[in-house]
Amino acid sequence: MTHPLDTPKQASAGVGSSQPRKASSRSDLFPQLIAMQKRLKASNFAIFRVVGSGPPSRRKLVCELENLGADAPQICERFLNAYSVTLIEHIDSSLLPLIWSGSSAGSFVEAPEFSALLVRLAPGAVPLAGIAFPVRLGATGNGFVIFMAEELDLASDDIIQHHVESCRLMTDLLSMDERRTPHAEALSEREIACLQLAGDGRISEEIAGKLGLSVHTVNAYLGSAAIKLNSVNRIQAIAKAIRLGYIH
Amino acid sequence: MEVTYAISGFESGSRRVTKPDEVDGVLSREQMIRKLNQAGGAAGVDAPLRALCDYVGGSHYLLARYDLLQEKGLDFIVTGNWPFDLVRRVGTVLADGYSRSTEIERCLALLQPQFEDLPDECRPPAGVSRRFCSLFFSVGRARFALLLLFPEELILSQERLREAALLAAYATSFVEERQRKSDRDFELTDRELECLFWIAEGKTSDEIALILGISRNTINNYITSVMRKTATKTRSEAIAYAVRNNLV
Repeated sequence: MTHPLDTPKQASAGVGSSQPRKASSRSDLFPQLIAMQKRLKASNFAIFRVVGSGPPSRRKLVCELENLGADAPQICERFLNAYSVTLIEHIDSSLLPLIWSGSSAGSFVEAPEFSALLVRLAPGAVPLAGIAFPVRLGATGNGFVIFMAEELDLASDDIIQHHVESCRLMTDLLSMDERRTPHAEALSEREIACLQLAGDGRISEEIAGKLGLSVHTVNAYLGSAAIKLNSVNRIQAIAKAIRLGYIH
Repeated sequence: MEVTYAISGFESGSRRVTKPDEVDGVLSREQMIRKLNQAGGAAGVDAPLRALCDYVGGSHYLLARYDLLQEKGLDFIVTGNWPFDLVRRVGTVLADGYSRSTEIERCLALLQPQFEDLPDECRPPAGVSRRFCSLFFSVGRARFALLLLFPEELILSQERLREAALLAAYATSFVEERQRKSDRDFELTDRELECLFWIAEGKTSDEIALILGISRNTINNYITSVMRKTATKTRSEAIAYAVRNNLV
């Protein structure tokens, strides 16, 4: 009863998706990142997240965690000036890791078995060479886990393992943020029904007819939904309700 | 090794089950990566997914656009070799799961193997387990579900399943990158997208006119044009459409 090639950590195929090590605070992520950095023989790491929504020009990368040392702000700035536009565009279409060589003499990054699966950025923008693992979760929490070193010689096994782990780190980071933000009052069934119909292009009169309510009641439901969703009007409420999964 | 791919999926599934000790049908990670790396973008999605299915010891694979499930028809299928009657039924199961989950839950499901049983009325091919595995990942704006069937009694490695999902995302990245240029943003102009973005943020036409420094009537014209292009009847519906399609 074993897989031909593996000694699985978790026994049967029936076991649900229990996550192996669940980090509970950001400080728990640090040792994990250090361990990953060691395995890659890298000297530094950083996690950048994409903030903002809409077209690429309205979004930017923000550094969430790093061990870049005293020069961190300068390094981040140089890094973002050089690469942030490319990185934000990249994560809109691709999940392939990105690599770059540094500006100091002898800095290089190599991954012979993996070359076609990597995207190479213009070299020399920052002192160190590095690799960025894009992590795309969905509407929020997207970003990059980055490792840097004077020289990086990457085996394909390492790349894949670190990319999988990077994905886990980013989901951990998102679920921590989720736990911290207090949840708004839940929407009632009626409010959800009104939002759904409004999002489907119905005007208040039609919604009222469909749900057997008066127009004023429908508008009141849409208004209370907007307040609960911290929105200024029904249109913003619809946008938020879709993003939060209340309606489709 | 090549022979495995030449045989159509249905047969390769049942064939392996009759000879469970046959190991050479299963790829090692190195072989897998070499294959992906050599093929690069040229292979499309189908061949890499076949190989990935073998890599995890699966018998059938199905790659679906998880975000397109709500729409009618079978457009949500990207590639696969599941028996057709199962595809239809599992589509309903997936759509159900999608509508019950929130966006945050979907974000946190990245690369987490989830196991579920096929609906009772389904008859999986002989020797194939009823329990299927779903893995989720996003490439750009598209969210994908990779569904795998396995021979009965097979024990799976969660790590391997995660890697397979990541590699599937790599393979999909190549294709997405090519498609992006063709169907970019439903041919809405940058100005129209900009207006949509601000409306979704709850701004009125007057406010947007101030923000963009153009007249209120121009804004209204842009919005009318958006509603015409997206075949929507009200502003609310246009915004709902934009959010659903990740345009804002």
